[in-house]
Amino acid sequence: MANPIGAIAGFAQLLRADGLKVGIAEQQAMVLAALALPLAQIRQVSPAWRAIACQSPRDWKRWPELFDRYWHPHRVRGTIRSSGLARPSRDLRQVVQSLQDQLGTSPSSSARKSLDTAINDATNATGDATDAGADRAFGGASRTDPLHDRSATQWLPQDLSQLETLAERIARRLMRRLTRRWRTHPRGRRLDLRRTLRSSLATGGVPLQPSWRRVRRERPKVFVLVDVSRSMETHAQLFLRIARALVLALDARVFVFHTRLAEVTPLLERDSATVQEKINAVTAGFGGGTRIATSLADFHRVHARAQLGRASRVWIFSDGFDADEPHRLQEELRAIQLRGARIVWFYPGSAVPASTAMNGAHHQIEAFHRLNNLRDLSEIATTFL
Amino acid sequence: MVRRSVRQEILTSAVPTTPAISLTGTLREGLHRVGYIADEDLSTALWLAGELQRPLLVEGDAGVGKTALALALATSQGRELVRLQCHEGIDLAQAAYEWNYGRQLLAIRLGEHSDRTLSENDLFSRDYLLERPLLKAITSAQPCVLLIDEIDRSDEAFEAFLLEILADYQITVPELGTLRALHAPQVILTSNGTRELSDALRRRCLYHWLDYPNLAREIDIVRTTLPEAESRLIEQSVEFVQRLRREDLGKTPGVAETLDWVRALHRLQFKALPDDPEGLMATLGCLLKTREDRFQMEPRQIHRLLAGRREGTAAGTTAGVAGHSGD
Repeated sequence: MANPIGAIAGFAQLLRADGLKVGIAEQQAMVLAALALPLAQIRQVSPAWRAIACQSPRDWKRWPELFDRYWHPHRVRGTIRSSGLARPSRDLRQVVQSLQDQLGTSPSSSARKSLDTAINDATNATGDATDAGADRAFGGASRTDPLHDRSATQWLPQDLSQLETLAERIARRLMRRLTRRWRTHPRGRRLDLRRTLRSSLATGGVPLQPSWRRVRRERPKVFVLVDVSRSMETHAQLFLRIARALVLALDARVFVFHTRLAEVTPLLERDSATVQEKINAVTAGFGGGTRIATSLADFHRVHARAQLGRASRVWIFSDGFDADEPHRLQEELRAIQLRGARIVWFYPGSAVPASTAMNGAHHQIEAFHRLNNLRDLSEIATTFL
Repeated sequence: MVRRSVRQEILTSAVPTTPAISLTGTLREGLHRVGYIADEDLSTALWLAGELQRPLLVEGDAGVGKTALALALATSQGRELVRLQCHEGIDLAQAAYEWNYGRQLLAIRLGEHSDRTLSENDLFSRDYLLERPLLKAITSAQPCVLLIDEIDRSDEAFEAFLLEILADYQITVPELGTLRALHAPQVILTSNGTRELSDALRRRCLYHWLDYPNLAREIDIVRTTLPEAESRLIEQSVEFVQRLRREDLGKTPGVAETLDWVRALHRLQFKALPDDPEGLMATLGCLLKTREDRFQMEPRQIHRLLAGRREGTAAGTTAGVAGHSGD
């Protein structure tokens, strides 16, 4: 093996391409680990490099597949070899052997370079080779994944992490309200006399450790109401995923409704493959149709009675088809509005809901946002106030 | 020449004449001797952390043995364990050092009534410095194991403060200067993953995800910890817990819970798991720690899991799906 450091740099390049944060320092550590391990223990190279390159449970789970894809491609099922491209042979034992030979015993002209420079050079060489083709399309297929437009039923880990990022961006955009109360803070500007005097007792009355206070700001309390009726069947999964992200990012309370209303926040707080099943179980007894007005009445009179106020935001995810009397939707939304809450309506499809009930209730709704996929959510996250 | 020196630098931190095979093997055996069963990956990560003098960040669900790992490592190597338990709002004064204000004040008062005049340097000397865990680990005369437990509970500002210690094994006290470690401590950080840690912290650490042990390893762990319990009871209990972990629970039982449960069953003089779930219900508090989980695991479900012992996993799973859909 002529260039073992190059082979390791190539592996690092593959890891980076798959989202692992492997820089020069990590590559150095990988080389050092390979040097320190005897050849008889070649099996320990993988766990050692795994400890160096992985930084999260996600990385950890993907490691075996990534390691095999580079070092043992024959073990990976379904790999396609592109014809016409000369593929360098990668034998881990050979790489480690020649690495130990080169850096340990045989100082050739290249071995006189420092290890840092060698890794830098190898990284640049690998990076140049792959970056040049990174944005090109091969045979008409683009490497850019139309992630945003992907249907809501296909949830990949990267989609979920993007969803979390968007939810956090929405959380940051929500204005924090100034409250009348103050809170203790080490870098506050106002002296907390009471605490300062109390802590001075330990030093004989000399206030050596002053306590400080600063103003307290609170994030609005967000309530998410998700329509899970038959007409929303295809969108409910997306909405529930978004609702879960909002629970984690904003500490929102989530309710589902069709003919009745039920809170599902505890079910969404933990990640589970069976969330949809559980929500189905919660709503199993509900009859047909959608009774939005009745559900809203239940929401503001019972479930959120004590929490609705000026600092509340009510976000309704629904297509607006209501089986209640048309005037009732306006009345219930008005009741929520009178409590001081601000109402935003998120709808699937392309047009703003225009049923009779919805037309009458437009004045009570602060804004309408289309929400069909992550791209829509991304736009909302940048414009939402 | 430079490459040669890099290799020498690595090997001088370990024992140069001892191959790594025996080092990881010894480490693993040492942990086994004190009752901690580590797999090959974990012992390699631990060995590498010592070799590269890097902290090891261990993540995993609660109860899989993260904290126990540090305790076992310290015991097996005969080192002192310095433990810093993180919590929300933890600050420099609780983690690293604090000036002993009371004593400083007393010295000033005593100085007022004596001829000796006190200078600022007198008051801000090591005599008046209260060592908290991080400083204690740095200034320890002997190599020690520093456990920074549940780092995800601390806030981001504290994480940033840790960077200096984790990268250079030093603490800067403005009044005294920079205090460097005499012996780099072996640092183990644990996290339950309740909060995302910063990239800066993660990049300074080696990483290991500690998963629930497989059946054979868990039986081994329980046998080592509770040698007095019946072998049949241990095997059946661990099989039951392994099946229970596949259920959709709010709080999945960890190894600590398995040990508690087997200990409880042993004290109740069970020689094997009974066929009747009613006899087990009273002890399930050792495994199921939330009201929802207790509610979900009714006698019928327990019976199904117990039956899985004889009918095999496939039968148990099928019954599970049917049971769930019927709810």
